[in-house]
This record gives sequence, C-alpha cells and structure tokens, in this order.
Amino acid sequence: MSEHPPEPEPESGPDPASGRVPELGWRRLDARMLLIHPLETLIRALPAVLAIFLARTGSDSNERWELIAVPVILAFGVLRWVTTRYRIQGGQIELRRGLLNKQTTTARLDKVRTVDLTAKVYHRVLGLAKVEISTGSSAKERLVLDSLRVEQGRRLRAELLHRVDPAVAALPAPTGAPVDATALDDPASGPLTGGDVELLRLDLGWVRYAPLTLTGLASAVAIIGFASQGLRAIGDENDTVESGARWVAELEWWTDLLLVVVVVSALAVVAYVLTFWGFRLTRNQLGSLHTRRGLLTKRETSIDHARVRGIRFDEPLGLRLAGGRRLKVVTTGLSHERGGSDWLCPPAPAAVVTGLARTIVPDEDAVAGSLQQHGPAARRRRLTRTVVPVLVLLVVLTGATLAWSWPLAVVAPLPILLLAAVALARDRYAGLGHRVTPDHLVAREGSLDRRRVVLDRSGVIGWKIEQSFFQRRAGVATLVATTAAGQQHYDLVDVPLERAYAVIGEINPDLLAEFRAPDCASDTSGSPQGSDAQ
Amino acid sequence: MDLPDQQALREPSQRVSPRAVRMWTVEALFSVAWLFGGLAVWWFLDTDSRTAQWVVGAILLVFSVGYVWIMPRWRFRVHRWEATSYAIYTQTGWIRQERRIAPLSRVQTVDLERGPVAQLFKLASVTVTTASAAGPVKVHGLERAVAEELVEGLTAAAVAEKGDAT
Repeated sequence: MSEHPPEPEPESGPDPASGRVPELGWRRLDARMLLIHPLETLIRALPAVLAIFLARTGSDSNERWELIAVPVILAFGVLRWVTTRYRIQGGQIELRRGLLNKQTTTARLDKVRTVDLTAKVYHRVLGLAKVEISTGSSAKERLVLDSLRVEQGRRLRAELLHRVDPAVAALPAPTGAPVDATALDDPASGPLTGGDVELLRLDLGWVRYAPLTLTGLASAVAIIGFASQGLRAIGDENDTVESGARWVAELEWWTDLLLVVVVVSALAVVAYVLTFWGFRLTRNQLGSLHTRRGLLTKRETSIDHARVRGIRFDEPLGLRLAGGRRLKVVTTGLSHERGGSDWLCPPAPAAVVTGLARTIVPDEDAVAGSLQQHGPAARRRRLTRTVVPVLVLLVVLTGATLAWSWPLAVVAPLPILLLAAVALARDRYAGLGHRVTPDHLVAREGSLDRRRVVLDRSGVIGWKIEQSFFQRRAGVATLVATTAAGQQHYDLVDVPLERAYAVIGEINPDLLAEFRAPDCASDTSGSPQGSDAQ
Repeated sequence: MDLPDQQALREPSQRVSPRAVRMWTVEALFSVAWLFGGLAVWWFLDTDSRTAQWVVGAILLVFSVGYVWIMPRWRFRVHRWEATSYAIYTQTGWIRQERRIAPLSRVQTVDLERGPVAQLFKLASVTVTTASAAGPVKVHGLERAVAEELVEGLTAAAVAEKGDAT
C-alpha cells in the first residue's frame, strides 16, 4: 500500500477540447466508506455473531468472545477501504482490491456500455453512491466502485459515456465535464441540463397495476415470508398475534380469500412505490437513455445509445387484461441476472408505453403493427402441450378412482382444468407472431408472460434453426436470432421451416445466398448486399 | 408480408471425419458405464430386491445398446459443416437437430479443442464464439489437420474484422 499513496484529490476536470477522460492516479474510495464498510461487514456477519451469543447464553463461561469478534469485523471493514484503489490510465479504468489475495479488475474505457449509480439509504445519508461500470453482458465484465461521492460518480459517468462518442467534444458539455456542483447536490430535482429531454415521468395513478404483475406478487410474498418469520419468533408469547390468527381462522373462507387479496395487493403497491418512486426517463443529445428511480434506494442507470439493440414490451396476463404493459430496453452490457436496470417504463397504461416506445424506436410497424401468425402446426403444438398433460392426469386419476374407489372429488376439478388448458393454448397461440420491418425483427410469444421484442436488424449476429423430432414431423422449426444484447437470443417458436428461411433471407440476404439450395439458387440472384455486416 | 418464399438452406457441404462415429461410441460407452456403475453399487448394497434390479438392469441394457449403437451413426448422418469466406454454417444433433449460422464478421474467438477421447482418434473440435452467449458454433469430430486449417482461416477472417462485433 505504501508504494501507492492516496492522491490528494487532483480535481483535474476533463479536457472539453478532446472529450477524453482525464487520467487519474491511484485513488481510494470515498473516506466516508470507513463508516459503511464496517457496518456492512457487521451486518453480513450478524448471524454468526448472534450464533456465538446464543451459544454462550447456555454456557457458564464468562469469556466474551463476541466482544472480540466485533472489533475484528470492524478492522476487516477498515482494511477493505485501505486496500481498495482505482485509477484511470492509458484508456483503462483499473480497480485493485484485497490484501493477501490481490484482485485487479480492468475495463477499457471505450468498451463501457452502461453505468449504474445506486445509493442505499445509508449511502444517501452520507451523500455517496455505488458506481457500477459494465463493459459486457457477464458479471465478470463489471467493475464496481463502492462508493464514491454522488457528484464524483455522476461526473465519472458523464465522462465515461461521453467519451464513447468523440462528437461530444464539440458539444457544450451537456451533463458532463465542468460540473455544476450545486445542481448535482440535489438529486431529487436533478439537472435537466442542455439537451436532455424528459421522455417519461411516473404517474402515481399507475400503482394500480402493481398487484397485477408477478414481480409485484413475488415481492408481496417475500415481505409476507419475512414478516411471518419475525412473527413466529415472538408469536409464542404474544397474545395479540395468537388471537389475531384465531380470528382469521374463524372467518368464512371467502373473507379469508378477500383478506389475502387485499394484503397482497397492498404489499405489491408498497413494493411498486419503493422501486419506482420518482421514476424518470430522459434522453440526452447523444441519445443516451437515463433512468432514475427509487424511494429508499436511489438508482440511476445510463445506457449508451450505441449499445441499444431494441426494446421489449412485457404484457403478463394480469397486466394485459387491465390494459397495461411495461417496457424494457434490449441492450448489450446489462447483465441479465441483475434485473431491474433495464426498465424503461414501469407497469403503465398501454397507450403511454406504446407512445414512449415510438419515441425510442421510431418504427410504427415494429412497435404497434400486426404480426404474422405461425400457422396451424404451431396451434396444434400449443394445444398438445397444454392438453395432453391434463388428459394423462385425467386418465390416471380416473383409473385410480375406479380401481381403489377414491372420492369423486379427486376427479371433479379436472374438466375445469381441461377447459383452462384449452384456453391457455389458444391464448399462447394468439401470442405467437413475428414480423420483419425494414429496420427491425419483431417476435412475440407467451400467454402468462407475453412479451414482444423489437430487435434491431443490425443486432442479430447469428442464427439457429432448431428442430426437435416432433417439430421435424410437423414441418416447423424454432428460429433463434442470437444477439449480444438482452437475453442473448430471441426465438420465433414453431414457424414453418420455409418461413424461417425467408426471415433469414430477408434480414441477411447474402447469408442465405451463400448456402441456398441449388434448385432455387436461380430465383433471386441480385439480392442486396451486406445488411448484417457493419 | 412481402418476404420472398420458396427459399431453402441446403445442407452444409462437409461431413465430419468417419472416425467420429468411433469417438462418439466410446463417449457413449463412458456415459453408459456410469449408469451401470450405479446399478452395481445398488446390487451390492441392497441384497433384498434382486427382481427389481434385474428389471432395471434389463431396461438399462436395452436402452444402452440402442444408444451406443444408434446415436453415433445417426449423429454422423446429421453432422455437417461448411465455412466460406463469409460465414460458418453447421448442422448438428440427432433426435434434436439444429443448424447454426454465424457471419464471420461477428466472430470473436476461435478455439481448437482436443478432448482425451478425441485425441485417441486423432480428432479435434472447433468452437467459434460470437458476442452472443447463445451463439457458439461447434464443429465436432474433425480430422486434426482439417481442424487446424479451419481455425487458421477463421482466425484470419476474425482478425481482419474491426469493431467489437456486437
């Protein structure tokens, strides 16, 4: 450590003439992390400390091990701060961590695709934000600076994202360069500097969609699970909890159901508000998208426009029935598993979302145009997939009921299940569709989790044609467009084989020309060139 | 929609090495051996259910023989590849079949791989990755010389390409 003394804050702003990120010698994270790191370590180690404490209450010995553990943990936190350094040099940002097991992460500045700023409550109290710089789609290609001062993080972000495009140097520093610190100090109102255009702002009325999405329900269930554990811990001695439970148990079943619905909905609304409070989507002069959201944990995501490969509409069943949808961005550089930073619009009325999509992807056919259906074989396959399992269940259970005289109630719900299966299959078929527009490939699928992807043609970097045994017999295939963005692949499920070839031929004509079957090689010889290569 | 119909991709032109059949057979024998190993453990640990063990063993034997005999031959009939100056194109699988195409302009890495079994038969496989995690194109069971030539050609094409191919 001694060979790298911390730099005394060289406030060398970026050079607006060249648009380059200024080089920066080794620096530590913000000193205020000395408060946070030990706290975080302590929280992480809390179960262990509690275990020691509980184990001790049973024994007679008076050695206070936990009192030794706490300073050790605090020391670890301090050590973490002391051993973490970063610098910007030679077109790279470099992060070093660790005392014994030294780790160095480097990222090339011109590969930076997205920059996330996250501030949990205790970060916000201290005016800090965690900066996550991502250069690829995997977690390995991520560089996390935990944490810098908010304004430092914002400036770093502006520099990183703007140097991608040299044209920015000519512009009068939109959100970047010479920082107006006063504007940045107030993250709530935020600077709408220069050419930033606000595309969307959360309307609180949209919380009505919260209980209709699986995400909302999942967070509600998580909260309930967490709370019930806490309740169980105190439940034994607590009369209120017990009498409350008895009261609930004595109610009519439909009142119970209603109660559950109300509680779950309320919790989903809470989760929606926590996540999307103050949601705002802006776009700057260069086309970079910028979202900002969160009530307790603030989160800002910036996505370089050159990395955007398309958009995705999510229409889960509940949301769709209520006339809502949500919008995500398909981009390289956002790791899939860390969901949440690709939101462009929280669950909102369909008209709002579609309008927003039009401003981001100005291609009316791709955003709202009707899609080509996949044909009878696809419909048949949807039906067999949902109906056959139910039929098998029906046969087995009926046989069992007859053989061992089980109660009739076992078989009774099955016809209803069968109807539901048919309905699901029909809706799944209705959801299947695709379209090729001059700029985009559009694919839609699903019923309970319907999504429509609008993918840039230039974002398609390869094709797969998959056929299972049954697909070959039905003459259909799953056409997979592989891409470096988003899910990494987007599928056209059960398209007729010739249709799959036609889609490839439309998007990559020279690719198809290269491998066309000889008998139709003469049809179209003058296909346009190179729509896939840039 | 105004897409031109009646277009079809032909099969890739090159077959893999005939020795690949033997390689896949050996690989299949290995995976089957694991199952019989499991059965043997069961046989020695549990001496009370010989009937069940015979039945399971018989079923396993039938499927294993089918798998070891049919899979490599079926695979050999399906597996094909072709590399032009413009793209790489493969066809793989047996029950589930798949064709993959990647334009060379999007190629990021080219790997040559020789597993222990492949070395036994002087074979190699080539893996071509693109920027998409979903799109590696693999050619199994190539003669070593053919594989090396393929890697050389692809690497030259990938190096010639500028940009990050996303």
